[in-house]
Amino acid sequence: MILIKCPYCGERDQSEFANGGEAHIIRPKNPESLSDKDWGEYVFYRNNPKGIFYERWVHTHGCKKWFNAVRNTSTDQILKVYKVNEKRPDLSEFQNTLKSPSGEPSVGSGNFAVKK
Amino acid sequence: MSAIYNNCEYISKKQVKIIFDGKTYLAYEGDTIASALLRNNIRLVGRSFKYHRPRGIYTCGIEEPNALVQIISEHNEPNTRATIKRVYDGMEIISQNRWPSLRYDFGAINNILSPIFSAGFYYKTFMGPKGFWKNLYEPLIRRSAGLGKPPKNFRSKSTHQYHNTDVVIIGAGLSGLAAAKKFINTKYKVLLIEQDSYLGGVLKNSNKVKTINGLTSQEWISETEKLIFNSKNITILKNTLVTTYNFTNHLIALEDKFAGKKIDLNKSELTLHKIRTSNTIIANGHIERFISFRNNDLPGVMLASSFEKYIHRYGVVPEKEPVIFTNNSSTLSLLKKLISLGCKPKAYVDYRKKDNVETEVKKILKDKEIPFFSDAEIEGCDGNKKVETINIRQGKSFNKLKSSMLCVSGGYNPDIHLFTQSKGLVKWDKNILSFKPDTPFQKTITLGSTSGNYSFKKLCDEINEKLSIFKTKKVSLDINLNVPNKFSIKELWETKKKSNSHWSKSFIDLHNDVTTKDLKQAIIEGFDRIEHLKRYTTNSMGTDQGKISSINSLAIVSKMLKKEISDVGTTTYRPPYAPLSFAAIAGRSTYEFYDPERQTSIHTWHLKNNAVFEDVGQWKRPWYFKAFESETMYQAVQRESKMLRENAGILDGSTLGKIEIKGRDALEFMNLMYTNPFTKMKPMTSRYAMMLGEDGMIKDDGIICKISDQHFIATTTSSGAPKVLADMEEYLQTEWPNLQVYLNSITEQFSTFNISGPKTREIMMKVFPDIDFSNDAFPFMTFKNFDYKETKIRIMRASFTGELGYEIYIPPKFGLELWEEIFSCGKEYNLIPYGTETMHLLRAEKGYIVIGQETDGTVTPIDLNYNWMIGKNKKDFIGKRSLSRPDTSREDRKQLVGLLPINRKDIIEEGQHIVELNELPKKITNPIKYLGHVSSGYHSPNLNHSIGLAMIKGGKNLLGHKFFVTATGKTKNIPVEIVNPVFIDPENKRLTS
Ligand SMILES: [Zn+2]
Repeated sequence: MILIKCPYCGERDQSEFANGGEAHIIRPKNPESLSDKDWGEYVFYRNNPKGIFYERWVHTHGCKKWFNAVRNTSTDQILKVYKVNEKRPDLSEFQNTLKSPSGEPSVGSGNFAVKK
Repeated sequence: MSAIYNNCEYISKKQVKIIFDGKTYLAYEGDTIASALLRNNIRLVGRSFKYHRPRGIYTCGIEEPNALVQIISEHNEPNTRATIKRVYDGMEIISQNRWPSLRYDFGAINNILSPIFSAGFYYKTFMGPKGFWKNLYEPLIRRSAGLGKPPKNFRSKSTHQYHNTDVVIIGAGLSGLAAAKKFINTKYKVLLIEQDSYLGGVLKNSNKVKTINGLTSQEWISETEKLIFNSKNITILKNTLVTTYNFTNHLIALEDKFAGKKIDLNKSELTLHKIRTSNTIIANGHIERFISFRNNDLPGVMLASSFEKYIHRYGVVPEKEPVIFTNNSSTLSLLKKLISLGCKPKAYVDYRKKDNVETEVKKILKDKEIPFFSDAEIEGCDGNKKVETINIRQGKSFNKLKSSMLCVSGGYNPDIHLFTQSKGLVKWDKNILSFKPDTPFQKTITLGSTSGNYSFKKLCDEINEKLSIFKTKKVSLDINLNVPNKFSIKELWETKKKSNSHWSKSFIDLHNDVTTKDLKQAIIEGFDRIEHLKRYTTNSMGTDQGKISSINSLAIVSKMLKKEISDVGTTTYRPPYAPLSFAAIAGRSTYEFYDPERQTSIHTWHLKNNAVFEDVGQWKRPWYFKAFESETMYQAVQRESKMLRENAGILDGSTLGKIEIKGRDALEFMNLMYTNPFTKMKPMTSRYAMMLGEDGMIKDDGIICKISDQHFIATTTSSGAPKVLADMEEYLQTEWPNLQVYLNSITEQFSTFNISGPKTREIMMKVFPDIDFSNDAFPFMTFKNFDYKETKIRIMRASFTGELGYEIYIPPKFGLELWEEIFSCGKEYNLIPYGTETMHLLRAEKGYIVIGQETDGTVTPIDLNYNWMIGKNKKDFIGKRSLSRPDTSREDRKQLVGLLPINRKDIIEEGQHIVELNELPKKITNPIKYLGHVSSGYHSPNLNHSIGLAMIKGGKNLLGHKFFVTATGKTKNIPVEIVNPVFIDPENKRLTS
C-alpha cells in the first residue's frame, strides 16, 4: 500500500484515496460545437503511459478534496502532489529514468531483481 | 541411534504431553513440535507432495520444506511448520498427505509411477478428453497430491495494530541487537522485531561466537536486551515475523500471541502489525542451503546449522554419531560442539581440498580419530524410510558408512527475500557464492550476513558506517570467535550419482518434489528462461519459496545453459515471506463486522410485523411482510399488490438517498447535473429527474424538490446516494469551481414513508386533520412543510405505484411514532405495510423503470422513451452531447417495451431472452438471433396474468409484433406481443385522482 500526501491533510494510506484517472482533461466549454470525433476523444480516450503520468486523486475517506499528482507508473513513486488550481508542473522537473526499451527504470519496477 | 538431552536455558524443565498421530509423547515446555519429535526419536513426520515419499525434519526454522503438520487442537490449522510451532500440554498433531497411515501410505505408488510425474506433467498428462479434467483428473490429483486439509467452521480472533516509526530493525540477532544498541536513548522511534521468543539469533543458535566485549554471548544478549528494554524510544516485538515489505516502507508483521501456549478462545491469537517506517534495517541473517545428491530427502538428512541449533536452542542432540558433509568452513562449530558433548561424528566429509580445510578442523579430526574425507562428496544415501547407509565418494573410491543422520551444509544464502520484496537489486558475490543486496530502491539498510558480510570482525565497522546517516554514537564490538573469521567455500550444487533406480532421486525442491532431472528435462524442452522454468517444473513455488534450494536451482540451470548465474537471474521473491493465515489478514473484519448493517427508525416495527428483509447496499429493507407463517413470498407480494390498488399501502422509504443542494448557483448547477430543465420550475414543486454520465448513459434517477433557485433537495436510489454525491462534488471541485454551491447528505436526517392507494387521502386527512389534501390545494408533484406535534414534517405528493400517493419526511426520532399513528388511523381503511418486492411489481404494472434493472449502464433516456425529461433547450448538461453520438442515435438500440403473453397463462421470467424462434433446437449449433432480454417480469394480480418489461433492439418500432421469450428448462418458447410498457392506468387517472 502506497503512501499519498494529500495537499490538505498530509500523508495518509492509499486506502483513504480513490484514483480519478488522467489529470488536466478539461471538460469542453461548448460540447455541442464539438465534432463526434472530438467529443469522443474527450469522453473515452485517455493516456496510459509507462513512466511519468499526471493523474487525479480524491481523498475520499478524508477531506474529500480532489487534487493532482505526478506518478511514475512503473515504480508507483508519487513525485509531486498539487492542488487542482495550481499549474501543471513541467515534465523536466522530474528525472525521467525510463531507459530500457519497454520503459522500465533499472530499479524499482519489480521486473528485475538482479543487478547486471 | 538416539537423541540425547543437552542442558539448555531456553527450554523449561517442565514436561508436557503432546499427541502425534494418536500417540502420546513427552516434551519440554519451550520445544517446537520438531524438537519434541526429535527428542522422542521420531524422524518420519510426513509424506511428500507429489511422490508421497517419506520425509523428516530438514531444518530448524521458517525455511522448513518437509515437516508440515496439521494441528487438530487449534481449528485444525493445516501446513503448520513443525520447526516453528511450539508445543503445549495436550497439543494434538497429525501428519499430512498420507493414507491410510504415515508408515503405510498408499500414494507412495506415485513414486514408482514417477516418470509420468516429471516436469510439466500436469500440462502433458491431463489434456483430454473434454470434461475429464473437471470430473476425473482434478479430484484425483487433489486427493493424492497436496498437503493439509483446510479447517472448517473457523472463526478468527486476530487483530490489527498500526505503527508509525522512524526505524524498524528486522531481526534481533547479533547485527540487529548491535544496531538497536546504537539507538538507545536517541530521538528515533525504533521497532525491533524478532521472529523467535528469545533475542540473540546466531548467538543463541550456535557457539560460533565465544565472547563479546569480554562477556559471554549469553551475558551480552541479556545486558543488551535490558538496555534496549529500558530505552523508552525502542519497542521490542517478539514472536513476530515480518512477512511483507511493501512500497513506501510499509511493512506487515505477524505476531503469534499464543506461541507455546494453548489458544484462549476469548483472546486474539494473532496480531497483524501494519508498520510505516522512514527507514528499514534488515538484519534477519542468512539461510543455509542444501546439496542435491541421491535420496537427499530421506528422513535423517538435516542441514548442519539446523542440527547445531537443535543442540543450542532446544537442548536436543538429534543424533550422537552423525556424518557431517560440507563444502565450507561453517561446520567447524558443530564439530566442536559435538566433541564437547562427548559425541563423535561418524565421518567428516569436506568437498574442499585438504589444504583449504581449516587447520583446527584437521587437528580435531586427527586427535579424535574421526574418519576424514577431503576433496570428497556424498554420492547418496539409502534406507527404509530413514537414512541407514551413506555412500561417500573420494576420487574413484567409495566408502559405505552406517549412520542414521547426515548433516549437510551447502553454504549460506543472505536472506534477501525482504530486500527483493522492497524492489532492491541483488548482485552475485563470487566469494560467498550467493546473491547479496546491492542497490536499494527504498530507504533500506542491510546488516551482517543479510548483506553478505560473513565476517564477525568486520561487523562493527559495517554497522557504524551504514548507520552513520543517523545521529547516534559509535558502537564497539570486540568479538572472540570459536570459528575461523574468514568464510571459505568451494562451489558444489549436486553430486554425481552412481546407481540409478526409480526410487533414487536427487531433489532440488523438497516441498514440491522437483528433482534435478526435472530441471534438465525442462531445459531440453525449451524452458530456458528462469521464470518459465519455475512454473513448468513448479520449482521453488511451494509455501517455503525454495528457501534452502532456490539458489541451488539457479546455479544448476546456469551450468546447464553455460551462462553466468547473474545472466540467468533469479525469480521474483514474493510476499508473504512465510505463509500468512487469511484469518490474520481479515482481522476483526469478519461476519457482522465485515460490513456494517444500516437500519431505519422503523426497523423494530418491521421485525415485530414479520418482515422478511432484503439487503440494499448496506441497508436492511423489508422485502415483503408475512401475513401468516407459511405464506410464501409470491403469495405475500400478490396479496400486498392487490390490497394496495384496492385500499392503501405504506412503504418505509427511509433508505432513499437524499442530498441537499444549496448556494447562490444551485439552479445553474442542477441544470448542468440533471437532464431536466429546472429554471421555469415553480418553487415548492418537484420533478422526476435523471442523471447521465458524460457518455449519455443513465446513472441515477430520483425526485428533485425545488425549494427556491438557491435550494434543492435531490433524492437518489437507495444504493446510489454516495456515488451521486461524490459525482456532484467532483464536478463542483474540478470543472466548475466558480459555482457557489454546497452539498450535504441528509439521507439519515429523515425517515421517509411512501403511502399510496385509492384510500390514501382519507387516511392522510385522519392523521393530519389540519391539512387540506384536496387536488386543488395539494396537486401532484408539489410539497409543503408543516408543524407536526413538537417537530416539522414535509409532505410531497408523489407516487411510484401509479396510485394517489404521498411521501412524508419526518426526523427519525419521531418516525416510529408517526408510522404507528398512520397505522392506527389506517386500520379502518385496511392499510397494509408493503416491501420492496411489491413496490417493484406495482411500478412494473405502471411501466416505471428501476435503475440497475431496466438500465445497465448502456441505456440512454431516449432508449426508454423518456425524451420528455431531456431539457432540449438547455445549452449543456452532463451527457447531453453524447445523446447525439452516432452510437446513441442508432435505430437498432435496445429500447424499452412491454411484453404481454399471448396465452395469458404463460409466465414471463426476468432475464430471459427474446428470440424469433417458437422452439429452440435440441442441440444448438449456430448462434440464435437475439433480439433482447426481459428486464422485469411479474404476475400481475390486478390484471391476473403475467407482464414483462423488456429491452429489445429497435423496440420502439415493433409495437404489435409477435416474438418469443425463452423459458427455464424448456425448449418451447413463450409467444408474446410487444406492447406499450404501461399496463395500468395509462391516462394517469389514478395518479392524479
Ligand atoms: Zn485530505
